[in-house]
Amino acid sequence: MRLSKTELSIGIEMVYSITFALVFMPLFFHERGTHLAWEDLVGPGIQILVFTIFFFSVAYGALELARQHEITEDERGDLIQAKAYKAGYILYELALFIGVGHLLRTAPEHNGDLLFTTLALLLAVSLTKSTYQLYLHRTL
Amino acid sequence: MALKNHLKALRTTSGYTQEELGSRVGVSRQTIISIERYRYKPSLELAMKLSHELDVAVEEVFYFE
Repeated sequence: MRLSKTELSIGIEMVYSITFALVFMPLFFHERGTHLAWEDLVGPGIQILVFTIFFFSVAYGALELARQHEITEDERGDLIQAKAYKAGYILYELALFIGVGHLLRTAPEHNGDLLFTTLALLLAVSLTKSTYQLYLHRTL
Repeated sequence: MALKNHLKALRTTSGYTQEELGSRVGVSRQTIISIERYRYKPSLELAMKLSHELDVAVEEVFYFE
């Protein structure tokens, strides 16, 4: 089975996610019970940023060298991407609800502000999405 | 009614590989494979490009069954 350039780039994203989970998630896992100040997050933040830039530069650079002339974007790719983004949108919303629910349960102080901000953001996103969808229906 | 095609037969007759035909019409090898296996229905534009590249009418490539 020969993987296409697009499939390999999706594989790179999956390897990144798994590597991130194995390398960086333990750092945050051990800090779950503590209150993290901004200064505490700068170190890991820089590590994550450097690792991400290095990882994707090397991985995509190697892929580009190996598969220089391969076509990666076409109508089937766009359709697959649209379906993947649709699933991703639903999962992000679900993850956001779970995350906020967890925060409301474990951090009761200022939870009114948290709830309002989250609901306002979700409403804005939902409204923007619907407006864009309506625009596409009227123009395509 | 399902949309079928003779793409594989016409492509091999014309002497193209999947990759060559794909690059001539601007799509990936996987897209050609998917069309040949009836998994992906191409847009009208791509169907026209394919028939033009294979030098046959579009209805000779794609048909309903």
